[in-house]
Amino acid sequence: MQTIDLLFAGFASAFQIGAFLTVVVGLLVGVIAGALPGISFVNAMAMALPFTYAMNVTHAMLFLGGIYVGGVFGGSISAIMINVPGTPASLPATWDGYAMTKKGQVKRALTIAVTASAVGGLASALMLTFLSAPFAKFAMKFSQPEFFAATVLGLVSVIAIAKDKPIITMISLLSGMAIGTVGVDPLYGQARFSFGIPEVESGIRFVVVMIGLFAIGEVVDLVATDRDLRPKKADGKMAGASFRDIWNVKGAIARGTGLGCMIGVIPGAGATPGAVIAYGVEKQINPRGKEFGTGVEAGLAAPEAAKNATTGAAMVPLLTLGIPGSAATAIMLAAMMLQGVNPGPLLFIMDPSMVYTIFAAMIIANVLMIGAGVGVAQMFSTLMRTPPAILAGFIVILSLIGAYGVRNNIFDVHVCLIFGVIGWAMKRVGFPSAPLVLGVILGPLAERYFLTAVANSRQDYTVFFTRPISATILFLALIFVLWSLWPSVRSRIKRQPA
Amino acid sequence: MTYRRKHGGTDRLGRDGQRAGLSAASDRDGRDLWSRRRRGPDGPADGPVDGKAAWRLDPDLERGGRIRECRPDPAQTDAPDGYTIGTLISLTVASWASGLGDSNIDDFEVLAVVQNSPSFLFVPASSPYQTAEDLFAYAKENPGELTVATSGYGTQDDVTLKLLAKDGVQMENVPFQSPGERYASPIGGHTAVLYEEPGDVAQFLKAEQLKPLVVFSEERHPAFPDVPTSTELGYEISGLDNFRTVAVRAGTDPAIVEKLQSAVEESVASEEWQKFCAETYSCIEPVTGEDAQKMVQDFLQLITDQLAS
Amino acid sequence: MAMVEKARDDRVSWRDAEPKHVAAQGGRGKAMARLIPVAVPAMLLVAALVLPAFMFTGDRRPDVPGLGPAAWPNMVLLLLGVFSAIWLAIEVWGLVKWRVSTSLSAPHDENVYHYGKALVGIGLVIAFGWLLPYVGFAVACAGFLLIWCLYGGIRNPFVLVLVPTLGTVALLWMFMGLALMPLSRGVGIFDQFSVALLQLLGIY
Repeated sequence: MQTIDLLFAGFASAFQIGAFLTVVVGLLVGVIAGALPGISFVNAMAMALPFTYAMNVTHAMLFLGGIYVGGVFGGSISAIMINVPGTPASLPATWDGYAMTKKGQVKRALTIAVTASAVGGLASALMLTFLSAPFAKFAMKFSQPEFFAATVLGLVSVIAIAKDKPIITMISLLSGMAIGTVGVDPLYGQARFSFGIPEVESGIRFVVVMIGLFAIGEVVDLVATDRDLRPKKADGKMAGASFRDIWNVKGAIARGTGLGCMIGVIPGAGATPGAVIAYGVEKQINPRGKEFGTGVEAGLAAPEAAKNATTGAAMVPLLTLGIPGSAATAIMLAAMMLQGVNPGPLLFIMDPSMVYTIFAAMIIANVLMIGAGVGVAQMFSTLMRTPPAILAGFIVILSLIGAYGVRNNIFDVHVCLIFGVIGWAMKRVGFPSAPLVLGVILGPLAERYFLTAVANSRQDYTVFFTRPISATILFLALIFVLWSLWPSVRSRIKRQPA
Repeated sequence: MTYRRKHGGTDRLGRDGQRAGLSAASDRDGRDLWSRRRRGPDGPADGPVDGKAAWRLDPDLERGGRIRECRPDPAQTDAPDGYTIGTLISLTVASWASGLGDSNIDDFEVLAVVQNSPSFLFVPASSPYQTAEDLFAYAKENPGELTVATSGYGTQDDVTLKLLAKDGVQMENVPFQSPGERYASPIGGHTAVLYEEPGDVAQFLKAEQLKPLVVFSEERHPAFPDVPTSTELGYEISGLDNFRTVAVRAGTDPAIVEKLQSAVEESVASEEWQKFCAETYSCIEPVTGEDAQKMVQDFLQLITDQLAS
Repeated sequence: MAMVEKARDDRVSWRDAEPKHVAAQGGRGKAMARLIPVAVPAMLLVAALVLPAFMFTGDRRPDVPGLGPAAWPNMVLLLLGVFSAIWLAIEVWGLVKWRVSTSLSAPHDENVYHYGKALVGIGLVIAFGWLLPYVGFAVACAGFLLIWCLYGGIRNPFVLVLVPTLGTVALLWMFMGLALMPLSRGVGIFDQFSVALLQLLGIY
């Protein structure tokens, strides 16, 4: 009951004009930054950090929370419209979302994405409000073996994405993981594969790889294929999705939301594994799973719901334990610390009104996103009317600025260009690039979780199987692989007689 | 604090930088001056030293963690024109002593040492070892059984554990790259002990989730008068403190160095900074000029000697 | 029976799926096309075998506890080598048996693909990225937008003037003005020009 009272007080604070506008501005900044290839919402939050010094701590958190919620969704706008994920977590949105765009259903795809994102985010915000304590306890049971197992689950879920190419998918994934080993290792501080080049010692950033592989190749294809991405009126899908359309994917949204909430609460996991796992699971469960990749609504809705469902969940360990589970929450932690506020269990006792204002703001931000969905879809689909040459030119520039902005280093621009050429060639020969990007993102995480887990168990490799949660997740990963591979194996067995 | 630009204009970055603890972030001819580092900030105590620039320029915090690499590259590879400044911290210097990387202190000109704090061993509140004596006694009886969450191999955390092991207190070093995971590990009961400076775990100390057992110093820490020093307990381990410096590439024009130094000093004197460093138990009188360079050099030598011994 | 038909469809080589004008490039093109699915796994296999020897450069490798920094990359490269070898074997088997690639298949959704145009586009993007630090962001951006618009078939002089100029100003304001990114100003005379322009725009 006290929670409800505090929440109402939080809503009262959040609806004050200053606070409300702060959330709205944050939401808009996040959506736009997320939609620009390479300028991720994390960059936007980092850029916004100095502005928060002028605010009180509640407004600072509302602003950053708005950017976070808007940005996680915003990344899917460019993924759906031009096949370039604005943030890594929007990678799955390219698979079915962009396929819908190619069918002329860009507005429909955007509406489904924003609705699914908002529902996922809202559920997550409610979970944050009412279930923080038990989820924080749950999160504390996780240690390095569990993080490793969860990362493995994320890695193997790409097998589910692969249609009939498990081996090539694995090669792409492993190539990405190999690229992820370049630079200083996470535990010993030794540079690997640097070939004596100082810039290489700093490693190859996944954002740079992602921009190169997706943006450059896509832009070139946009011009080389005379592709028409404008919304088509002829197919009757010019309008955004109807309520019935959304209702039809309710199962996918619910599953994505559930998975996102579970995965988001694990420190270190975050939106990308959440979205990828949700896509993989949905592909197996959904009756239209075999058609995924061709523009199936559920294939877009599930990962969209999942990635936004990680936003509120990721704030659980931050607010309850003072442990940032992701880059975005690390920035929020910095904002709080710089305001002299220490997140952690004491925060709920010392300043419950602030905590519940943040909860209320997260709920409001997600509700506003539903309302803004149609407007956003309209605004961005209008952009698609821009002649492809102009659109493509700006995408190139924004992408290279994004690569440069990672470390303000021209080296990253050159790396981006190299991966641009590689990405274009991969696309031309049908070599999948998404698993490679996931390998670059998740590979280094898997490495440090693995090494620390082994060190913590004094070189006992069975630790991954003797701890119940870790063993369960790994078992699920195994089942998931077998489940995903079975159709392919079955078709091969049946093909043999021919 | 306002800086005049050669080409005019107001100094927006100076204001933001000052808020971030670095009012030196001016420029001489209109180009922005950035503090850069490879990885994201580590614990909360790192934030203001890095300023907004470090946060902004390295969105890859997810994979970040402590800057424990051997080469804070932009401050080393960018032109020595004062446009690029870096934070050189004790952990990086310690890793040089451990033979990592090919940088050394001569590659940098230290503008100022702005923070310093000794390290402690912390245990979770529910730990069976409520005193350092209990902890060390158990570790001596059960070599390698206790695990210590640290920031990595080759750091002063590692050196401290090696020195303790030399005296019979053998505990297993468990490196965590991510500071959040490092702090959560003992609280969640996954490691027995945490090696850290108090400023990085201030909120856990205030919430009484972590308890300090020993400070690696010759003198007791004024904020923790009840916590015994390693010297008192018979372990001569001190000087392995966590300092943070602001540095530029060696060879930077002395006039620029002077200007930057005075700007850093002015920032550190600000009320905001004093409040921050008090909260993170890391206040010192800023050490500048040759003294700063010598302080880092001496630290490097100390670690090298201790490793050699 | 339907499954057999489906399986045959699945076995379309990437070469077969290429647009007609590419497939009709002659014997050399066909040979190249057939070689790529074999060459890629072979290259990856060689890389996986050779790269471990080049993992460390210059760094001293002190005695390290635990698995060491080489363990994870070695494991990844080993797995990469194994899977590459399997892929190579499947490709060689497919070429011998069916004379087609069994694994790679190009995108099916394009009727026309202008390879020449694509290569020019890649060249332009590379030139933009490479010239950026020398001529500065403002000049590179305006120049690139102009050439890209021309390359994209836009001939309207109004558009050709407005898009590069307004686009560059907007991007400069967004990134150097608001986001305070230190984008390159170029060297020498380009640096002076960039500073003058940024002052004119009120960013400096």
